[in-house]
Amino acid sequence: MSWLIRAAAVAALLHITPAVVLVKRPDAVQALLPGADTYFAREVHLSDTDAHRLHEAVDWSPEDGVLAFYTGKTGSTTVGALEFVRVDTPHGPLEVAVGFTSEGRIRGVIVTKATVEMKPWVLEAVAGGLTERYRDLKPGDTPAGALALAGRAGNLAVYIAGEVDKGVARALAAYGAFYNHVRT
Amino acid sequence: MLYDLRRADARIKWLVTCLLATFGLSYIFGALMVSLYAGFTPARVAATYAGPEMSMPMPPETTMVVNRPMSMADFAKPEVHTVDTNLLIQDTHVHVPMYGVIAAALGVVVLGLSLRRAWAFGLITLLFAAPWLDFGGMWLTKFASPRFAILTLAGGWAMGVGYLVVTALAVYQMWRSPKGAEP
Repeated sequence: MSWLIRAAAVAALLHITPAVVLVKRPDAVQALLPGADTYFAREVHLSDTDAHRLHEAVDWSPEDGVLAFYTGKTGSTTVGALEFVRVDTPHGPLEVAVGFTSEGRIRGVIVTKATVEMKPWVLEAVAGGLTERYRDLKPGDTPAGALALAGRAGNLAVYIAGEVDKGVARALAAYGAFYNHVRT
Repeated sequence: MLYDLRRADARIKWLVTCLLATFGLSYIFGALMVSLYAGFTPARVAATYAGPEMSMPMPPETTMVVNRPMSMADFAKPEVHTVDTNLLIQDTHVHVPMYGVIAAALGVVVLGLSLRRAWAFGLITLLFAAPWLDFGGMWLTKFASPRFAILTLAGGWAMGVGYLVVTALAVYQMWRSPKGAEP
């Protein structure tokens, strides 16, 4: 009978908890594209070759092979661009919003979705200054939020920071390779 | 009969009752979760599992861009919860063992019920068939046709029916039938 109890406990521990919205998308858009009054979606439909290239770079393929960037403008001035990137973790999906300035550097990062289980880890990591670590990174840089938190936050917060690092790395790679370099 | 729940020690009856009550609670919240994230109609289940992958066009030969204006209201639109292949692999990996353990626990309860062998075989088969139908339906919906969403619904209902039948029989035989009520 003990194997049955152990198996049930393991299965219960591995069970993915429901998703929770930490920051609503419109709020993330306003925070990461401040002052913008018009928005445009730029959907990049990747060819097999480009999808493979991106996968090789960051071990990730966007859903349906489409990268979605959102550009914000104030009048004719571009405020910046934004991506929502999903990271599938063993504990469920995580969504990270990564905003770029018009110069192509990261303006800010917001974790917009997690699961009930991961929420306290995310909150601890963010309270520990995780998202500040990504500011000003540019394509080609390596996000190291988890490294910065190591020893200063709990193990699970550091773990989740590693997952957020993945999301930011994907956003940087996608932005660097495909935001401005594909003709419409 | 391997053992008889009607004549079992009161502590075993209590254990089985608590187990069934706990499963019942989790099933109620399971149903609520399904209503939140997938729904109880074939169309909603198909939208969750088939998603855009069923209608996804072939990748273009060269990468192409589509620009369109967005309003803030577009960002606020509720998203349809979808389960892509990676998440379905993960869900299958973590849910199916759990369902197996639950079916096994309910199956052990069935073994202690006073039932004809054929009924016991049928109930045990139903308990294990339910998760197979549930997840088989999800995979077929994703890769074969959205019409297979009906299998997932059948699996979910089979799980509920199996639980209710086992619980009703067990509670009756343990606590209500003349033999069960004996001290």
